Amino acid sequence: MLELIRTRRVIRSMTDKPVKRAHLEKVLEAGRWAPCGGNHRLLRFVAIQNPVTLRLMRKVSPGMSQRPAAAIVLCIDWDQVKVHKIPAHDRAISIDVGTAMENMMLAAHSIKLGSGPVTSFSKEALRVVLNIPQNLSPEVIICIGHAAPKDQMIMIPKKKVTWQSLTDWERYAG
Amino acid sequence: MAGSMALNEEEAYELLTFLVTSARIQQDEPASYGSLRLLTAAERLSGFMMEHSSSGNRGFLAGIQEDIEQMTDSMADVERFVTSLDELCRVVAQHLVEQNGLSGGAS
Repeated sequence: MLELIRTRRVIRSMTDKPVKRAHLEKVLEAGRWAPCGGNHRLLRFVAIQNPVTLRLMRKVSPGMSQRPAAAIVLCIDWDQVKVHKIPAHDRAISIDVGTAMENMMLAAHSIKLGSGPVTSFSKEALRVVLNIPQNLSPEVIICIGHAAPKDQMIMIPKKKVTWQSLTDWERYAG
Repeated sequence: MAGSMALNEEEAYELLTFLVTSARIQQDEPASYGSLRLLTAAERLSGFMMEHSSSGNRGFLAGIQEDIEQMTDSMADVERFVTSLDELCRVVAQHLVEQNGLSGGAS
């Protein structure tokens, strides 16, 4: 598992090789099993394989450098947020999006698929393209496909990051 | 060059959509992303233009695309990024000058 976590990368260039439906279902299942606040299940997923829909999604998503063969959109269901009387600003809602996203990206990596999250898109335009109702808000698009062998836009951190450099033990040392 | 099409209707709509959606998301993103979005638009535009332009301009457009690709890869280094942007502005302006027969000194 740790090896999967270590070797996963954000894939920004993908081939046009199709993604099998069964593989996409595995990724979706990984999202379903993600930890979530209060086990409230506030997320809904929209899975896309239609090339025309994917092309339109890319057009309304300036941050989507990939041309993915598939995509999953993670949405918050605000009706469910109300049902469970959760304040709209509760951080747990955003954390749920993150945990599901990471589960899905790791699941994709485990079956040799590349993935890359995109948050730079017009929510309203995407809503129109995917027929997403008002009670759902699209939060992140996970592009899924086969990584192109080259042409990855690599973002190199300014300084090397290790778990040690991120961690303080017992009390924050500053 | 005058009167020739630089992009077809589908390409124009793609660019239009990119610009409009970029304008919206820019409200939620760091200011520096604005330059990135404009460069991406310029990269796409030059890609479309290459399909329709004369062979004389293709080299220039290909160079623009290459420059933009390198620049977006090195955005973390702000100073270098700004220097590269200035250089790209000079390249584009020089191309315009030459296209309009203005090269050479004042007469």
